[in-house]
Amino acid sequence: MREIFTSLRRTPYQSLAAFSVLFFTLFLSLVLFISLSFVNGFLSYLETRPQVTVYFQTKTPENNIFKVRDELAASGKTLAIKYINQRQAFQIYKDLNKDNPLLLEMVSADILPPSLEIYAKKPIYLPEIAEYLKKQGDVDEVQYQKDIVDKLLSLTNFLRKSSLVFFIYLIFMSIVVLTTSTLFKIALKKDEIELLRLLGASNNYIRKPYLAEGLFLGSAASFISFLIVIGTFLYFNTFLKSYLAGVPALTLDLYATRLTVWPMNPIFFTAMFSLSLVFGCAIAIVSSYLATNKYLKV
Amino acid sequence: MIVFDKVSKKYPLGNFALQEVSFEIDEAEFVFLVGPSGAGKTSIIKLILKELSPTSGSILIDDEDISSSSFKKVTQLRQKIGVVFQDFKILADKNVFENVAVSCRIQNLSHLETKNQVKETLALVNLDKKERVFPIQLSAGELQRVAIARAIVGERKYLLADEPTGNLDPKTSWEIMKIFQKLTGKRTIIIATHNSDVVNSLQKRVLVLKEGELIKDKRKGGYDL
Repeated sequence: MREIFTSLRRTPYQSLAAFSVLFFTLFLSLVLFISLSFVNGFLSYLETRPQVTVYFQTKTPENNIFKVRDELAASGKTLAIKYINQRQAFQIYKDLNKDNPLLLEMVSADILPPSLEIYAKKPIYLPEIAEYLKKQGDVDEVQYQKDIVDKLLSLTNFLRKSSLVFFIYLIFMSIVVLTTSTLFKIALKKDEIELLRLLGASNNYIRKPYLAEGLFLGSAASFISFLIVIGTFLYFNTFLKSYLAGVPALTLDLYATRLTVWPMNPIFFTAMFSLSLVFGCAIAIVSSYLATNKYLKV
Repeated sequence: MIVFDKVSKKYPLGNFALQEVSFEIDEAEFVFLVGPSGAGKTSIIKLILKELSPTSGSILIDDEDISSSSFKKVTQLRQKIGVVFQDFKILADKNVFENVAVSCRIQNLSHLETKNQVKETLALVNLDKKERVFPIQLSAGELQRVAIARAIVGERKYLLADEPTGNLDPKTSWEIMKIFQKLTGKRTIIIATHNSDVVNSLQKRVLVLKEGELIKDKRKGGYDL
C-alpha cells in the first residue's frame, strides 16, 4: 500500500488523469445501469397491469358482460379477467377523488360504466382481444396499453443499444488513458525494471506494483462514483416516491433472478456497487497488462 | 559449473565480440576476466546472464544448455546469479535494506528469511549500521557494497561483477576486493576488470581476452596491460 501511495504521489498528474477517466466511466456506467433498470422495471410493471380495459354502456345487463367474460376466458388467451360493476367503479372514483368533494357531488354510481380488466397471457394477444371486444354490441370503449408498451419497448431497445455503444467507447477510452499513464510510469522506471529482470524477477513480479496501483485506482473510482450515485439517489428519494406513488415495485429479470429496482433496497445497491467494482478492476487489469507487456519480453 | 564451448558472438554489423571462446569454471572458483576495453569481458558476462545469445557454440550452466534462443528458463537462471555493475544500479527510492531485500523477494524468500538474510549480508559488507539510509546519503564505495550485498544475498550461487571498481578510488577498490575475497569458496565468482593491481595481488585464476579471443588461461596468474 505504501508503494502504491508513493507511486501516486510521484506522478500526480498521470494518476489524476487515470482516476478521473475511471471515475467518469464508472459514474456514467452506473447512471446508465440505473436508467436502464428503471425503464426495464417500468416495462415489466406495465406488462403486469390490466392490459385491456373494456367499458360497457351503463345500461348493459350484467349477463351480457358475463357472457363476454366467459367467452374470453374460454379462448385460453387471458390470464385473468376482473369484473368491476358500477358500484365498485364509484368506490374507486371516490377513493381517487376523496380530496375533492365537488367532484364527488357531481357523480353517482349509475353514470359510471361497468368494465372488465383483462390480463392477457402474452402481449401479442392484445390486438386480437381488443378487436373481439370492439365487435361486441354493448361495448362503449376499449382501452389497451399496447401503444405504451410498444413505445417503452422501442425506447428500451434504443437506450440499450446507444448505452452499449457509449459504454464500449467509455471503456475503450479508459483503457487507453490508463494504459498511457501506466506506460509513462513504466518509462520513468525503465532502468529499475531492467535491473529487476537481470536479478531474475518474473514477469508477474514486475507487473504486480502496476497492477496493484491500477486496482487501487479502479476500486477507489468505483467506490466514489457509487457514493455519489447513491447520494443523488437518496436526495431524490422523496420526489421518486411521489412520482412512482401508484407503483408498488419495479423489478428487473436477470436470467434466473429477479432484482427489485424500486423501492430502494440494499440488494440493488450491492448489485450496483459490484458491477462498478468489477468494471473498475477489469479496466485496471487490462490496462496494466497491456502497458507492462510491452516491457516484459525477455 | 559454467562451460563455454567454442562460443562466438557476432553483432549485426559483422564485428565479433567473441570468437570461439572455450573455458570451464568450476563450482566456487574465483576467476578474473581481464583485457582491454572491447576485448569481450562484458559480452561473456551478458552471455552468462542470457542478456545475449551466442551466434555459435554452446554455454552450459549447471549442465543446462542456455545458448539456444528457445531457452525459456531465463528467470530461473538469473535467480541463481548475482550481478554487480560498474554504475552500481541501486534503486534511488529504496533504502539500503530495501535494495537488498528486493533480491530476496525475487527469490521468493519469506518475510522472516528476507529480514534475517539481509541483516546477515549487510553485516558481511559492513553496512549493518546503515540499513535505513537512502542511496543519496551513501559514498560510491558504500553503494558498491550495497550492490554486492544484493548480489550475494539468498541462494545465488554465482556472482558476476562487471568492472566493480571502475568508478572507485584505489583505497575503496581494495575494500571492495576484500569483500569479494571474503566470499571465496562460498560461490563461483567471476570479475571482469582491467585493474591489474587487484588481479596481480589476489593471485586467482585469470582469463585474458583480446579482441574477442581468449589468449591466456592462468590458474594463479597475474596480468600485464
